This record gives sequence, structure tokens and C-alpha cells, in this order.
Amino acid sequence: MCRIYQVQEQKLLFLTLVPPSKKIASLLFAAMYLSISLQAQTPSDALMMNSKQICFLLDYNYSSFDNYWEGELKRENQTIAMVKRNSILSMVAVGILDNLNFYAGVPYIKTESTHPNGGKFAGASGFQDLTVALKYRWLNKQLGNGRLAGLATIGFSIPVSQYLPDYMPYSIGLGTPELSYRAILECRHNSDWYLRGAGTYLWRGYAKAEREYYYNNGSYYTPWMDVPSAITAEAVIGKWLFSDALQIELSYLGSRSLSGDDIRPYNPPQPTNKVHMDRVGVFAHYFFPKLKGLGFLAYHNRIVAGRNVPEMNTTGFGATYFFNYRK
Amino acid sequence: MKNKTIQLLLSGLTLLFLYGCEKELPNYYKIEGYEFASTEPDGGNWTPILIESGDAISIPAPDPVNSASYLQELEDLKTAMAQMSQADANAVTYWTQNPIIRWNEIALELIAKYNLIPGPNEDGSYTLPNPANPNGPPAFPFAHPPYAVRVLAYLSVAQYDGLISAWHYKYTYDRSAPFIQDESIVTAYNDNSDISYPSDGAVIATASRKVLTQMFPLEAKYLAEKETEHLRSLLLSGAHLQSDIEAGKLIGDAISTIALARAASDGMKNAQAPKAVSDSLASAAQARFGWHWVNVEIPKRPVGLTPLFGRVQMWSVENVEQTRPIPPPAIGSAAYEADVSQLKSYADNVTKERRRIANFWQDGLGTYTPPGHWNEFAKEFIVKYRLNPLRSARTFAYLNMAMMDGGISCWDAKYYYHYPRPIQVIEGFKTIAGTPNFPSYTSGHSVFSAAGAEVLAYIFPQEASIVRAWAEEAAISRVYGGIHWTFDATVGTDQGKDVAEYTINKARNDGAD
Repeated sequence: MCRIYQVQEQKLLFLTLVPPSKKIASLLFAAMYLSISLQAQTPSDALMMNSKQICFLLDYNYSSFDNYWEGELKRENQTIAMVKRNSILSMVAVGILDNLNFYAGVPYIKTESTHPNGGKFAGASGFQDLTVALKYRWLNKQLGNGRLAGLATIGFSIPVSQYLPDYMPYSIGLGTPELSYRAILECRHNSDWYLRGAGTYLWRGYAKAEREYYYNNGSYYTPWMDVPSAITAEAVIGKWLFSDALQIELSYLGSRSLSGDDIRPYNPPQPTNKVHMDRVGVFAHYFFPKLKGLGFLAYHNRIVAGRNVPEMNTTGFGATYFFNYRK
Repeated sequence: MKNKTIQLLLSGLTLLFLYGCEKELPNYYKIEGYEFASTEPDGGNWTPILIESGDAISIPAPDPVNSASYLQELEDLKTAMAQMSQADANAVTYWTQNPIIRWNEIALELIAKYNLIPGPNEDGSYTLPNPANPNGPPAFPFAHPPYAVRVLAYLSVAQYDGLISAWHYKYTYDRSAPFIQDESIVTAYNDNSDISYPSDGAVIATASRKVLTQMFPLEAKYLAEKETEHLRSLLLSGAHLQSDIEAGKLIGDAISTIALARAASDGMKNAQAPKAVSDSLASAAQARFGWHWVNVEIPKRPVGLTPLFGRVQMWSVENVEQTRPIPPPAIGSAAYEADVSQLKSYADNVTKERRRIANFWQDGLGTYTPPGHWNEFAKEFIVKYRLNPLRSARTFAYLNMAMMDGGISCWDAKYYYHYPRPIQVIEGFKTIAGTPNFPSYTSGHSVFSAAGAEVLAYIFPQEASIVRAWAEEAAISRVYGGIHWTFDATVGTDQGKDVAEYTINKARNDGAD
């Protein structure tokens, strides 16, 4: 089974695979972070699929915000009123080796403002970025009353449509290639509680605007905008219930840009902005004991503090299905 | 086998990483000076804009080249050049011997920095930028297009008149540059600036710093630092002595004082009219035409942008009404309804090309504005055709005078006809560009761009067809953006051409052709 998270401005996406057999399930943890966008954070976690499994995921989520942080100032803006974002994500995860999984996914996103608003701007829609990633498990060890797993993920994402990143807050993505390097440690106690921590470095390239000049604490005579790279840290506490049929967790995710400028007063954001955020979330994934391979997931998260970021709430639902693709 | 697979994948990603890593993001035009196409020995006799003639500003006669003071200056220069730091050398390279390009870029940067529309207060009211309290909030100024084009016009006119004056004295006193007087001095620049008294660069440095400091009072320190660096680079280039620079500063100071005196009384300080005056303009249009423009922002802005900019003193047109365009189609007329259909069609079918055009020319809030965009084009042509400083200044001066006159004429039409924007009258209409806070007819982009294009076509006839095509694209870009009617653009283009003709006529008779 797979799972995903998406946070508006930052598409972040995360996939867990629960093994087909409970025996294996109790042993494996894995995490996968896919993809890119405005800010980045990294969820962590996940399970490994064994070398014969493939998993598909279809996820829908809805995000919205009324307020945002302009630099450190939290404000509303009736020019855009409430901004809404609907996303559908499809993704596949493949067990290549028992300790090596491959992921690929692409979301379709639609944005718009609620009415009335003072700006009368059209929203945007389209396919955002294709993300591919590899996850490798380098540690999987029984320790006393629990088991410790260590994983590393490397991911790459790139826009697949000609969406305009320089159209915030309606842009559907950052418009830049992104490389992510992620390390995950998860400890599962025999009581079925688990703790997970993850850290990610996100390298971002350049977004191309459709103008030849912009201001970023000085003049820039180019359509190329340097999108700040970022680091993220995540902490999760979770529990498996009902003989591993239900997984629930609480998470915190912090993301910090490593450079960038602030949104200027009453001005739109742009891809060069320095984006910080703290986000908390809940997540549940249910695996039907009698329908082998089928799972449903639901999640909600909200950005509780930040800089140059919307105060975004996201709610999502998804379905996962896995099976053996070879013998 | 497993390890090999992983290594291969990792190295592939590393390559992508390195490939994407480096891109040059230029902050200014990367040129290192060039040999001028002409030296203009007669330039001191050209007709200036603000002063009677090149000798209207006085500077002292220079010391002769065989005087003790001159020889001492030469020695001081050699000492200073021998002690140059890397930062000094970089500054000499940056400023070039046509530094008007750099001061124009500094002006564009400050325009972009201050082109921020004040947002609403907590209670829904708006506070206007106030020159008496420049820190605000909101900071002064709001460098919107009328403000920006006026900055550029005063800057360029002061530079141009200052250089005519400098040219007058260059060829009056004919004092050769230090690198000619003393062969041991090697100039950093091409050696066709061989008369050094007074330093034309110093005229530009001081005049630019003074005009821009008045226009952007919070940037006084930044601009003073730029001036200091520029003046020092003039010396260290080996092309000027300190006395050349001091004489240039005198001219720069005098001409900018004259330019700022005109600016203080040109009517701009009344342009952001109070609500009662603004409302009376709307009422007059309602009575005359049966419509008026309304700001639809939330909260509503009580007054549009600079309702009386149309009454600011023009450079080349005596009475703005000479350039007022024909009335727009009446609301509800067949021509109007046809345009509504056209706009809806564009909005429903945003093509890649129309979106690109809308964005390329948008030059909206936070940018250097449409006049700034045309200054950038002028800069590139100046370098392409290797214009000397005097002809560069002339180009910017007439370009910005014509665009400012265009803006004034456009604003006169905007608040006389007071025509609604598409989002005001088309139910449910949405745009891909931001709708500005002033009436629709005619389009500012169209007038600015056509006026700018005509001046560039006059000065660079080889580029005439391309700049005129750009102006038409800039005009239609606003229709693609959803914020202007087609007739705002087409009539605005004609209006810009018409207004520019007044300035071009002036240019044709200034002695430079």
C-alpha cells in the first residue's frame, strides 16, 4: 500500500508501502518523499515493498488559505480572498529489490480564488511535476523490544507542463527541477508504537518567468529565477492498530529555505522567496483485511507558522492497491 | 550487482545536479565599454532642453597643462593608480566611459524597488505615500508608471543638458586627457575620450545622484555611495584628473538644480487629487458620456491613481487637449459588444503565445514599469550602435520626454473619458494580469510604448520596424491580459505616435542631425 501527503504550495508526497503479509509488515518501515514545489518539507517514513511488489496510489486533496505570511507579517488580502487548491495525484511504487524501491508520480492541480475577491484573477490548472525517486534501506535491525530501520531516499522532479511558476499565488508549482536527498530513521516498539525522524536537503534549480526583468533585492535582467534550496526536518509518532490493519500518526514538519527574499508589502510572492514553515498533521491508513492489497488513507494538516507561506490547511483522501507483479 | 545499479543511478543524478547548478543571473548590462562611433566636436552647440545653450552654466577655466598645479595633479593621479585595489579596478570596469548606462540602470532599480502599491489599513482605509514622511508606511514614493516616467525624464534631461554644457567647455578649453599628456598613464578605457576638461562622467554622476535623491529620498545614502564610487573610478581610469572631475561636478550640480526646480512646479505634486476632485471627474464623465470608471478592489480605493497627472506640464506639447483622442465606443454599442466578445474569447482561450505576450510586457507592480522597459531597449541600442555619452544622453532624454508627454496625454484621456475596465462591466470576467487602479481608455502601455518606439525609430532608423512592432505587441498584450479593451490599445498606439511627434520635431532641430 502506498500513501501520500500533499501540502499545497509545497507538493509533498509520501508514500508508504505496507507489505502483503502481516509477518513482513511488522518488520518493515520505509518512507519516501517525492517531489517538489514551493517550499519543501520532507515527510519521512514508509515501508519497503519486497522485490516482487508494485503499488498504485490515487489521491485527492483540497487545500485553502485565507491568510499568509508576508515576510513575518501575517495578513489577509482581499485581492485574492481565499485561495483554493484541488489536487489529484497518481503514483506508482515498485519493489526492485527487497531493500530498493522505485517511485514515480505526477499530480494534477487546479487553483482559484473564492468570490468575491478584489483582483478578479483567473486561477491556473495543469499537470505539475513528475517525480521519480529511489529509496534504499541500509539498516533493519532488532534492538531489545523494538526494531530500528534506516533508509535513504534520493528523488528528482521536473515540470511536465508549461505552467507558469511566476503567477503566484495561483501557480501550480515552482517550475524548477529539484533533487532531494533524504535520510530516515524509524523505531518501532513491540507495542506497535513507532517514532520516526527524517531530514531532507532539497536542491532547487531555476524557474523561468515570462518576463525579462524582476526585482529580488536588486535588479535581475533575466527570466530565470533562482529558487532557494531548502532543508526540512520531520518528527512522527504513530501506532499500528487492529493487527496492522490501521496505521495512525501525528506529525510535525519544519521547512527552511536556505536563501531568498521576502514577499514585498502587498505584492505577490515570487519563486525567489525565502519560505519557512511549521506544519502539523494527522494521518490514517486502513488496509482492508479481507480485500487483499486494497487500502484507504485520509489526512489533514495545517501550517501553523511560517514566513512567506500561506496559512494553508489541507485535507486529503486516497486509495492504494498493491499486488505482486512477478513471481 | 545491486551496488552497481545504485552507483549508476546515483551518478546519473549527480550529473543532473551539476548541469542545473550554474546560471548567470545578470544584475546589470555586462559590457566593458566600447569605442564610440563619433566624438561630436560640435556637440556643445546643440540646443539643450532646460537651459538656453551649453554656456549657460559657468565653470572656471582649467589650469594650463604646463602649470605646477597640473603637473602635481598628474603625479597624484599616477600615485593613486599605482595603489588601486581590486575593488577599484572592478569599479572602473563596471562604470565604463559611458556611465549614463549605469545611472539609468540605478534609476530602473529604484523604480522597481518602490513600485509597490500601498495596501489597505486594518480599518479598510488606505494611506498615501507622503514625501514629508518618506519612511511611511507606506514608504515614499510609490513609483508607478507616471512617477517612473517623470523620474526618467528629469534624470535624462538633466544628463543631456549637462553633457551639452560639458561638450561646450571641452571644445572651448581643449585640455587633453592625462593619458595623452603623460604616456606613462594607461587609460582603462578606449582612448577616444581624449579631451578631459570637464569630465562628462562627473557631470553624469553628480546630476544623476541629485535628481534621483530628490525622487527617492530614502536612497540618499545609497546614491551618494554610488556617486563616490563613480567619481573615484573616473580618476582611476586614467582618463581624468581631479580638476576635470571637479569641473564636471559643478555642471552636474547646476543642471540638476535647474531640472529639479522645473520638477517642483510641474504640477506633479497635485496629481494625486483629493477625493472630492476625483469624484467630480467621475461625475463629469457620467454626465457627458453616461458612464464612469469604478475601482472594484476590496476594500475599494477611494481615489484612482493620479487623476490630475494629465495636467502636469508637458515637455513638447503646449496643451494636452491637442493630443486627446477620439471618444471610445459607447457602452452597449455594437463596437463595444464586439469587443466584449473578443475579450471573452481571449479569456476562454489563453494560448501559450498570448500568455507569453501578456507577461513579457506586463511590467506591473514591483517592476521597472513600461517606460523602464523602453529605457532598457534604448540602452541596448546605444551599445549596439556605440553611441558616445552625448548621443546616449540625447537618446534617453527624447525617449523619456516623449514617454512622459505620452503618459500625461494618456492620463488626460483616462480621466476625461473615465471609461470602465473590463472587470467592471463584464459579469464574471477574470484576467491573467492585474487590473490597475485607473480608468481604461486609453492604455498607458500603448501610449508609452508607441511614443518610445517612435523616438527610437527616429534615432535608430535601422530598428524602426522592429521597435514599432514591439510597441504594437505591448499594446495588444494588455488586451490578452484581460485588463484593456482592444480600442484602448489601438487608439492608445495612435495617441503615442502623435504625442511623440512633438518631441521628435524638437529633436530634429537641436543641431544634432
